Amino acid sequence: MKNKKKVEDIPFEEYLRKLEKIVNKLEEGELTLDESVKTYEEGMNISKICLEKLNKTKKKIEQLVIEGEEKYSTKPFSEKEGEDIINEF
Amino acid sequence: MPVDGMKVKIRGDVSVYEKRGEYQLYVKEIIEAGKGELYLAFERLKAKLKDEGLFSEKVKKKLPFIPQNIAVITSPTGAAIRDIITISLRRFPNLSILVVPSLVQGTSAAQEIAKKIDFLNKYFKDLDFIIMGRGGGSIEELWAFNEEILARSIYHSKIPIVSAVGHETDFTISDFVADLRSPTPSAAAEMTIPDKNNLINNLSLLKSKITRAVKRNFELKIENINSVSRSLKYQGPENKINQYYQYIDEFSARLNSRIKHQVELYEERVKKESQRLDSLSPWAVIERGYSICRKIPGKEIIKRLEQIEVGTKIEVIISDGKILSKVERKEAVSN
Repeated sequence: MKNKKKVEDIPFEEYLRKLEKIVNKLEEGELTLDESVKTYEEGMNISKICLEKLNKTKKKIEQLVIEGEEKYSTKPFSEKEGEDIINEF
Repeated sequence: MPVDGMKVKIRGDVSVYEKRGEYQLYVKEIIEAGKGELYLAFERLKAKLKDEGLFSEKVKKKLPFIPQNIAVITSPTGAAIRDIITISLRRFPNLSILVVPSLVQGTSAAQEIAKKIDFLNKYFKDLDFIIMGRGGGSIEELWAFNEEILARSIYHSKIPIVSAVGHETDFTISDFVADLRSPTPSAAAEMTIPDKNNLINNLSLLKSKITRAVKRNFELKIENINSVSRSLKYQGPENKINQYYQYIDEFSARLNSRIKHQVELYEERVKKESQRLDSLSPWAVIERGYSICRKIPGKEIIKRLEQIEVGTKIEVIISDGKILSKVERKEAVSN
């Protein structure tokens, strides 16, 4: 559980940097077999996390409707041209 | 060169384009007539806010690399919102965009935009950033983005603000205060929304690099093992044994030649001895005229008289045969 929350908090680009480091480490070729297997697994895991991060959000286009000082609602973005655009995707 | 906000004097003609009933101004000469009012106001506010530190790079907030929730404050019907949505979704198809409709020109526009920034800061704290702007227009049409009330609201926003006003050449106060200035609304989307395909391609590239590197590591290790086992083999018992075999081979070859030599020596000797033996053979003597007498039967060689009696049959062997005879008399030789 604790670990899962940590993954959420670490930004994508940091994982990307980690992945690049792993590539460098492996390409240097100084690792023992055990280490390279471990590093390989770590790299595959991180690339999976990165992909998950990219796919996490759902496409949503909404329009804000402010109804008062502290009151608001959202509705699907309804500008006519906007609707056409949404249908394109 | 004339610039936006400049006060100018123009000399030329005015005519009417009859087909459309439009007035046309043919300009022959433009003379600068001092800085325009708006230009001066712009310069004054810019200097003031700069002094206060509103433009400082130090207070600019960083935009997240992968935005998930963004808001766009602009006119809901302009080309700007259309461009931003189109480009954003093209680059990152699963993005959450909150469109916040607002006036973007006219006397109350600046205040309205400022209010919406404040509102989003209050109720939409998890927004990654806000793109605020409009398409191109005259300096008067873009003026809302040069007003102090909007500049201060941008400055106080906890959510990063991207300013996307007008064209490439239009600079507004909002651009200076914002955390990021983009030349146009389309550019705002290009600059802030990463290309998801690129990111995924980059990820797979890194992944295949990792796989390749690990594979290479393994191959190197195997190569190492092979070379070690080769040298081990060289130093190991197998090689020792082979060396002994070779030694034995060599040794036995030497032994063979030695024995052969010895045999040859013996053969030589045997030949010589047999020659000597030949010369000693009785036949050689007989050839020279001597003969041998033997008793019949018994073939006892007669050397002394006592071996025979008168009447004893004897054979005399000479070089080309034998003579059979009988003893007639015995006569001793005295010497």
